[in-house]
Amino acid sequence: MSAGPAVDLETRLAVSDFLVAEAAALDERRFEDWLGLFTDDVTYVAPVRVTRRSGSPDVVDEITYFDEDKQSLTLRVKRLLTDVAWAEDPPSMTRRFVSNIRIIPIPDEEELTVKNNLLLFRSRGDEGTYDLIVGEREDRLREEGGELRICRRRAVLDQAALGTKNLGVFL
Amino acid sequence: MSNADIRARLEATVDPEAGAIPMFVYSDPDVYRLELENLFGRTWLYVAHESELPEAGSFVVRRMGEQSVIVGRGDDETVRVFLNSCRHRGMRLANEDFGCTEMWRCPYHGFTYGSKGEFLGTLIGAPYERQAYPEGLDKEALHLIEARVESYRGMIFATWSLDGPSLDEFLGNVKWYLDIVLGRAAMEVVGVPQKWIVPSGWKLPSENFCADAYHTATAHSFLARLNLVEGVDFGRDGYHVDPGGGHGLGIGVHDPAEGSYFPASLEAEYGRNLDPEQLDLLHRVKNFHGNVFPNLSFLIPNFIPMGDQLVSGMMLRLWQPLGPDKLEVWSWHLVERDAPEQWKRLARKMYVQTFGVSGMFDQDDTENWEAQTVNSNTALTRSDEVMLHYGMGISAAPLDDFPGPGAAYDGKFSEAAGRTFYRTWLDAVLARSAA
Repeated sequence: MSAGPAVDLETRLAVSDFLVAEAAALDERRFEDWLGLFTDDVTYVAPVRVTRRSGSPDVVDEITYFDEDKQSLTLRVKRLLTDVAWAEDPPSMTRRFVSNIRIIPIPDEEELTVKNNLLLFRSRGDEGTYDLIVGEREDRLREEGGELRICRRRAVLDQAALGTKNLGVFL
Repeated sequence: MSNADIRARLEATVDPEAGAIPMFVYSDPDVYRLELENLFGRTWLYVAHESELPEAGSFVVRRMGEQSVIVGRGDDETVRVFLNSCRHRGMRLANEDFGCTEMWRCPYHGFTYGSKGEFLGTLIGAPYERQAYPEGLDKEALHLIEARVESYRGMIFATWSLDGPSLDEFLGNVKWYLDIVLGRAAMEVVGVPQKWIVPSGWKLPSENFCADAYHTATAHSFLARLNLVEGVDFGRDGYHVDPGGGHGLGIGVHDPAEGSYFPASLEAEYGRNLDPEQLDLLHRVKNFHGNVFPNLSFLIPNFIPMGDQLVSGMMLRLWQPLGPDKLEVWSWHLVERDAPEQWKRLARKMYVQTFGVSGMFDQDDTENWEAQTVNSNTALTRSDEVMLHYGMGISAAPLDDFPGPGAAYDGKFSEAAGRTFYRTWLDAVLARSAA
């Protein structure tokens, strides 16, 4: 199995640091900082997963859990910053674990495809319960003004019926 | 609690006509048991939209009550609904969400059924089957257990009640309104339903879509806070309708001078499918919510500007019970099949952004329903009933010049249909009518 063209250590570290910093911005609820990590032409989607027999595709791109651009992500963040975003006020306690990073350079382009696993722990209330939101993200990163930015995210979650009462948290 | 005790408690406390509902009914396990038996086991239940079964052999797996069913289009094009359970040992026959097949073969012992539910034989073949069953297998007795199926305007319903009212009778007055929501044009489901689990009793979202326009100004006040709407008018202006039968709906309207918010290119199709009074109402629709008893909701959300166009992404909802305090939300986005591609793209985007599991509206609703359910569970420990207030609009008189059937009220702030929802529910749960 080929890992694709080699990626230098410096790039690997930069990508890894970037994704870790992004996760921290969300877990620390620095939503405006987080928005700044996306390009203005970003697309951010999460297709619906279905249960099918092996051999049939189990990802449906025709309908998604998120279908966002910079404008709608901005609106979501503005909503979270009001005092009437009830679903996340009081906020969930979240911890994002980003791992299994695979970097695939795109020939002749200044962008990288970065696949990574997301394990998102979410707890609310005082009943000792929590949700795990788990999936693979396929990101596209681009350098803008010397900084890495996300210009595409596609998150495929590993449940056909999501075990969390809403996606009031970002993937 | 014994059946007699729970019946007595319901009869003594549930008083919809007085606007009084006891909190325990939201999530009581004994009540839930009666609901599965007397309500979900007997009434008409929505199972699929015709566009989900495009060809002979197409099937989707759904639930009636908690029971898994196969909704399949047979090789004769007829849609049938079968208990998803082999007649031999009760194993599940279809174990994927949807697909296309000529036959269902049980993965346990190979018992095989045709698309009309007929038992065909066992996988292992006739010689072995004769050895195993020298006395032969009674094919008639092994026919899949089949529900009664009828459809209206592309919506397929099923019931285990073989001799109850027809779907037409069951829907009654709400058909006039469903025509506008789902019958105005050929509709199609976009992709598949989103599904997610909410720790809530199933009646809370059902009554919310049925008769609760009042919550929007508080629960969804971010709309006004971000200047996406002005004030709370988006929740008030229009009509609340109690069509009877436990169904209910609210129609938000705008100034007719603004013209229709729907795609102009579909006007001819709308005109063919609606009578002039329905068409006139469609032209004024700003939002349109409702619930078909017991747990099928529909919604044309408030139109919101996207770029220079007003957009709304409509949906069907099933509040699928999975226990007294747990439900699975099924949310389908539907759109006019022949709408311009641009409208389809924007409507889908709007639907996903505002409703569905990540929707900016839906998020706040699930938060409410969960907390209400938790409170209703704790109500079980009290000796005195915790009674809740369902009295909004209780003394209002219906309009006498509204074109649609049923009792229509001026302004959406009324719980009239909610009271009828609980009356219909109570009668069904106590098995006092066929529901």
